[in-house]
Amino acid sequence: MIKDTRFTDQHGTVLMLGNEAIVRGSLEAGVSYVAQYPGTPTSDIGETFQTIIGQEPIFHEALIHHWAINEAVASSECAGAAWTGCKVLNPMKHVGLNVASDALSVIALNGPNPGAMVIVVGADPGSLGSHQEQNERFYTWMFHFPCFEPHTPQECKDFTKLAFELSEKYDTVFEIRTSTRSAHSRGYVDLEPLKNGLAKGKFIRNIPKFNSLPPHAISNHIRLYERIEAIRSIIPTLNINKIYPGKNSVGIITSGMSFGYSIEALNQLGIDDVPILKLGMIYPLNYEEITKFIRNLKKVIIIEELEPFLEVKIAEIAQKFKIDIEIFGQEYFPKYNEYSTGLVANRLANLFGIESNDKIHNAIELYNSYKNTIPSRFPTFCAGCPERATLYTILKATNNLENTVVCGDIGCFVMSFFPPQQCSDLIICMSGGLSAAIGMSEKTDQKIIALIGDSTFLHTGMAPLTEAANYDSNILLFVFENNWTAMTGHQPVLGLTEKRLSIEKICNAVGVSWVKVEDSYNPKQLIKTINEGLNTKGFKVIIVKRECALQAHRWRQTKIKELTQKGNKVQEISYYIGGCQLCYECARILSCPALRKVRIDNLEEMQIDQERCIKCGVCYEICPNGAIRKSIINLFEEEVPFREL
Amino acid sequence: MNFNDTDIINIIIAGTAGQGVITLKRLIEFAAQKAGINRCFGTEHHGLAQREGAIVSHTRYQKKLNKNERKNIQSPLISYGDADLYICIEPVETLRHGLFASNKTTFAINSYSIPGIMITAGLEEYPSLKMIEKVLRQYSDEIYFLNATELSLNSFKSNQFVNIILLGLAITTNKLPFIEIEDYEEVIKERLREPENNIKALHLGLENGRKIIGY
Repeated sequence: MIKDTRFTDQHGTVLMLGNEAIVRGSLEAGVSYVAQYPGTPTSDIGETFQTIIGQEPIFHEALIHHWAINEAVASSECAGAAWTGCKVLNPMKHVGLNVASDALSVIALNGPNPGAMVIVVGADPGSLGSHQEQNERFYTWMFHFPCFEPHTPQECKDFTKLAFELSEKYDTVFEIRTSTRSAHSRGYVDLEPLKNGLAKGKFIRNIPKFNSLPPHAISNHIRLYERIEAIRSIIPTLNINKIYPGKNSVGIITSGMSFGYSIEALNQLGIDDVPILKLGMIYPLNYEEITKFIRNLKKVIIIEELEPFLEVKIAEIAQKFKIDIEIFGQEYFPKYNEYSTGLVANRLANLFGIESNDKIHNAIELYNSYKNTIPSRFPTFCAGCPERATLYTILKATNNLENTVVCGDIGCFVMSFFPPQQCSDLIICMSGGLSAAIGMSEKTDQKIIALIGDSTFLHTGMAPLTEAANYDSNILLFVFENNWTAMTGHQPVLGLTEKRLSIEKICNAVGVSWVKVEDSYNPKQLIKTINEGLNTKGFKVIIVKRECALQAHRWRQTKIKELTQKGNKVQEISYYIGGCQLCYECARILSCPALRKVRIDNLEEMQIDQERCIKCGVCYEICPNGAIRKSIINLFEEEVPFREL
Repeated sequence: MNFNDTDIINIIIAGTAGQGVITLKRLIEFAAQKAGINRCFGTEHHGLAQREGAIVSHTRYQKKLNKNERKNIQSPLISYGDADLYICIEPVETLRHGLFASNKTTFAINSYSIPGIMITAGLEEYPSLKMIEKVLRQYSDEIYFLNATELSLNSFKSNQFVNIILLGLAITTNKLPFIEIEDYEEVIKERLREPENNIKALHLGLENGRKIIGY
């Protein structure tokens, strides 16, 4: 295999994802500090930094990447580094910005000088990898983050580099706003030379700048307005907003991915004379640029995903400069879900009073005729997942959640609300499940179970843990200790993955007296403990320990391979089914995807898919009819168990 | 069908977690770059990918750009009904992403099915291949099934080569113009583990494709 030199080459044209291009743009600007909590669609920015720091000696001296404990910590640590003179990058997902906002509100006031600070915010219209699809662009107004919205990987790189230059020059935090679509799209990127980052800087005392308390809170606020107005005035010189000219009296203003859908939608409709203003920078807007574009139009259509953001500002500018123009936006385009070329084409056809494209029309009609017959394919827990095994025990111990509420949380187990298990009654946000449980436990006598993952426990979970312990809330909390931030691609859980931290000791330290540590792969014992917990008043914690099945299986397979290559024999375990009564305990309540119902000669039975089964043995433990059998070849040779946490 | 240099080629690649949808997409893009294609733009599905979910990627390329930027690729997503080629590593996934098909679409489909969790639990039925084919016939007659999983297991004792075998089938449909087989081979050598087996897999797909399509 050839070496990946896309992050070390000084020039050339390469294929990159939007996120990779952001990394490249940062390196071309001389970034030397990056911190983030993983979150789709920005996790792979960190993965890329980790990889290049590990592999490329040229980055060893100056470049640091931290997986942070949460987004607020990440933003503040980035600011700290910037205030020694470094260029810092701080990626987060859209809901991560909610967590970071407390810190960022002040960092924006102070400004990142003597260094520079760029935040990357990964939005998620369509909720493709998130629990909601909020339009976080409004934060750019609130905190005055000048914000670029790239459309191609090339723009991801170019805008990031430019954002660093301007951030340093104007002492202002800049934002690169991507979406799941732009972050994970690939295209060509023309490279420019790399710049060395600062290895060591120095903090120089400046009390008014770094202490935004009265009176400096006000003076820094005034200074922030001055910085934003200075940036607003130079936008036309940056050459980032582009006009595609046309003679039509109806124009379009759009940005980011919506531009791609809009221009292709016009193409599909055979309209090629509509002038388009493509905004590379969505905040602030340059008044002259906007008024020049809209002044001679009769109508302007604003095409943007989610709540009207540009539309409000364009309307404000039209009013401020007394331009009489009809503005079409939110009434004509859905303010939810992701856009696509076909969707935009249909809405534009309505607005232009023409027939939509036949191809698009027929495609929708034919698809609608059969879409309800397509069997579902929910995302689900991997084969052998310890979280699924734990949810099974909860369903069993509570007689299918009788008089029981399960307060879910973020992590792989967000999927627990999907059928067939459906073992989650509510989701709020990171550690919101336990917090909701505290309130709920005061106001209902139902049994209350709360779930939390190990990474979330450290992210924000210790706060509600302490409160629940303080009030001795009548809750049974499950902490899923699987050793990894699994959902976002197995980033480490700080302290835990390195075995320096004990969740059990933390629970004890905040005053929880009933703490049990159990194994998800021992369902019978776990059910007993759950029953004991549910019959005990007050705050109880069960830490269910088992490594994420993907990681555990990978580790065990490597170990087996190493041993057999040395010529050692090891036990070969497999599970098979004999005498199945078709009770569906394994398929519908445990619901492991390695088990499948098959029909052979018109007889239905369950089978174990040996390709998928990781040999966790949970189905073997729980089969009420003893129909799942265990076979061990080389019984007297070495057993290779999963590693202990 | 003959393509012009400035035509936009639209490809949907669909499958389920772990079947190599993204690997296949990137392979086509790298090969396109080798072939001197002027613009590539495509989108991948990350995030929930590993957890038995439905995975789809769009990839698009254009050998030569039009002077008028309005006529060139500007979006990584294909418009409804605008796909030239579907490469589906799991049969029912062809239907799930059917919104992009039309009478100009060719389908290259692995006939080996992977049932989702509701089917393994016996709560839903998986449609027969005949039913899937019947739906797709409403779009076009260019529907080619190949049991790439069986071929991969028989030839390599592993299901890791299914995506590349299917690429071979897809190439024989002539819906991946301007990219030569040598371009794919070079990219396989440069970027995939077990390059020799993957090149064998590619040719296995090509041979079977030629037989199925009949030339």
